[in-house]
Amino acid sequence: QEAAKYEKKVLVLDFVTPTPLGNSWGLGGTCVNVGCIPKKLMHQAALLGQALQDSRKYGWQFTEEVKHNWMTMTESVQNYIGSLNWGYRVSLREKNVTYENAYGEFVGPHTIKATNKRGIEKLYTAERFLIATGERPRYLGIPGDKEYCISSDDLFSLPYCPGKTLVVGASYVALECAGFLAGLGLDVTVMVRSILLRGFDQDIANKIGEYMEEHGIKFIRQFVPIKVQQIEEGTPGRLKVTAKSTTGNQVIEGEYNTVLLAIGRDACTRKIGLDKVGVKINEKTGKIPVNDEEQTNVPYIYAVGDILQDKLELTPVAIQAGRLLVQRLYAGATGKCDYLNVPTTVFTPLEYGACGYSEETAVEKFGEENIEVYHSHFWPLEWTVPSRDNNKCYAKIICNIQDKERIIGFHVLGPNAGEITQGFAAAMKCGVTKEQLDSTVGIHPVCAEVCT
Amino acid sequence: MGWEEKQVCGYTEFVQTAQRYHGRPIFALFCGDKDAAGRSWCPDCVTAEPVVRKELHNMPDESVFIYCLVGDRAYWKDPNNEFRKNLKLTGVPTLLKYGTPQKLVEEECFKEELVRMLFTED
Repeated sequence: QEAAKYEKKVLVLDFVTPTPLGNSWGLGGTCVNVGCIPKKLMHQAALLGQALQDSRKYGWQFTEEVKHNWMTMTESVQNYIGSLNWGYRVSLREKNVTYENAYGEFVGPHTIKATNKRGIEKLYTAERFLIATGERPRYLGIPGDKEYCISSDDLFSLPYCPGKTLVVGASYVALECAGFLAGLGLDVTVMVRSILLRGFDQDIANKIGEYMEEHGIKFIRQFVPIKVQQIEEGTPGRLKVTAKSTTGNQVIEGEYNTVLLAIGRDACTRKIGLDKVGVKINEKTGKIPVNDEEQTNVPYIYAVGDILQDKLELTPVAIQAGRLLVQRLYAGATGKCDYLNVPTTVFTPLEYGACGYSEETAVEKFGEENIEVYHSHFWPLEWTVPSRDNNKCYAKIICNIQDKERIIGFHVLGPNAGEITQGFAAAMKCGVTKEQLDSTVGIHPVCAEVCT
Repeated sequence: MGWEEKQVCGYTEFVQTAQRYHGRPIFALFCGDKDAAGRSWCPDCVTAEPVVRKELHNMPDESVFIYCLVGDRAYWKDPNNEFRKNLKLTGVPTLLKYGTPQKLVEEECFKEELVRMLFTED
């Protein structure tokens, strides 16, 4: 849309290869259809369940037992997503961007072949190309995985309640999904191969895991599934999962209605003909290395988003990079995408907002003696009346002693973590120091004041 | 079989008609009432109607096109009228594909390409 603003003739090729179970979706990419949007809505559904429990202590009286209906929630969520898909179609059309629901692949220099779902092929040539094909969930490569397991690509539109669920993985996708499924009242187990939330601050990752465990989510640690078999067909059916220990020969079995795989995502770069135009990819990860102007090794081909090597896999980063790229190409701008101090939030039952360095990365980069960590537990006022945990919410600020105690890491674990973190991310962009934070008067009574 | 048109007035008649054709693609154009001379109180509806009619042949086979007059201007302005409350309409003219989130509102209905997209999208 940005390029069309500058009177460029633009074609968008968007195509979703169906999941092993046949699931597909509309225009908008992962975030809108099978990522952030449905995830946050279902997380909210779970939070509302908790709020209903808390409400009795605040004086709300209701005698009926409160139950959750998966179909009602999923229908509402899918309806909203449908309105977004449609909104994008209208928006592209109004800005004169041509859209084709077709699978694009390079067939030669400056030339792309687009194949639609009926198998009809068309060829297009262009001056420049932007690849933003994203990723798809990885499968385990064990017997029964593609036939019986689901992934996040299937979960948000599942036409039946998943029931007793085994979540395989310890990524934020795994923990967020396990979190809201349990919050909706389902029996949830998480099978973890090694650590939780690799790449995130491990001190906080462990607190997140502890909280989930204390709130009814079972964890099986240091095991990996080796076989999934179907005991009974159904919606949901019954599955038997056999798993082996990573530390010995122990083998365990378990029965579940649904197995959700969330062990990682692979870049969609291997079947789009990049070899035909000479675009180099990292053979091991499939990711595309680009320079700081999002240009691949082929000058007229650019890339943004989750497929980039060594860059953050976040929607706003991809959008920002894309917009700035187009402004540099067609509007004479010079701004480059700033990948530093990008804030992010994990929407686990106890939400985690972070910006900047984790404690371990800060220690590694600056040396333990050069950083100062300030931390504190806090008890949200709203949790006092319903007697919820008083020692789980936590905030941590990491400062660089050698640079006026500039804040280089911000971490908050508690309700509305995303909302809290956004403001502090802006402050970090301005180079806020511990002293400035201390001299900022807190807003009372809110969770965020613990940081001031 | 092609497509057929049904003309209705008011919310109740609209819902009854839509339910009768459940299972077939249903498109609906909501406009303000017309006076004795055939002109609507809603000027945007006057502009949109010929654009929409020109594209009707693009609807899939078996489609039902419901042309619905919503009421007079006072009824429409009432924030609690049934169209606003139950169908979540926010303006007239509205052209929508019934049972889906796909719709075009007000000036969007003037654009034949958008109308065509609504009729041919699956």
